[in-house]
Amino acid sequence: MATLHVLSHSPFGDERLDSCLRLLGADDGVLLCGDAVYALREGSDTQRQLQAANLAQRLFALDEDLQARGISGALAKAVGYQAFVELSLHYDKVNSWL
Amino acid sequence: MKFAIAVFSPAHAPSSRRALRFAEAVLAGGHEIARLFFYQDGVHSASANVVTPQDEQDIAAQWRAFIEINRLDAVACIAAALRRGVLDEAEASRYQRPAVNLPKPWELSGLGQLHEAAQTADRLVCFGGD
Repeated sequence: MATLHVLSHSPFGDERLDSCLRLLGADDGVLLCGDAVYALREGSDTQRQLQAANLAQRLFALDEDLQARGISGALAKAVGYQAFVELSLHYDKVNSWL
Repeated sequence: MKFAIAVFSPAHAPSSRRALRFAEAVLAGGHEIARLFFYQDGVHSASANVVTPQDEQDIAAQWRAFIEINRLDAVACIAAALRRGVLDEAEASRYQRPAVNLPKPWELSGLGQLHEAAQTADRLVCFGGD
């Protein structure tokens, strides 16, 4: 079952992003929101980690959270809430890393 | 499509606001919300006694308005609510507490309501943490 993983914690404070990428299925997607969008910071280890994970077309970030933090996040597709809803339907289930 | 939405964080957490914006987008997209379930610190959003600083968005009030306008089924977990002092009239009288701070449209009920909502809905989406 293709799962959309929703991350909202900063990747610099805990291991959620590492754990998520470790068990990510081939068809799973990742949506970064809140402080999790810091993972896309230019030149950071986490950005390299995401690049290496090869998530083309499967990595998304909530647009308002990118904007609020001044992160360009070229690696991810920026989405609004409408697209968040559509993503949650596109994938079979949504797993929030609370 | 039918959504069940579970909120684990209080109204002052960014994730509660995110849950509310998501819920609004669900309805705007022509979908249905089978139930909103407020669990753990999420039950604070149901309290009528939350006072938000004037320079901040009052997300608890926005939740209440959203639920009332759209006539949604909004449940606060009873065990989580009791331990945090969020009481409706029946519970305040049962435990002889001096105040009631959970008015309608909120309902106090058990975790079974989350399970049932998850079974009824096409998607369960949870919001919590930061």
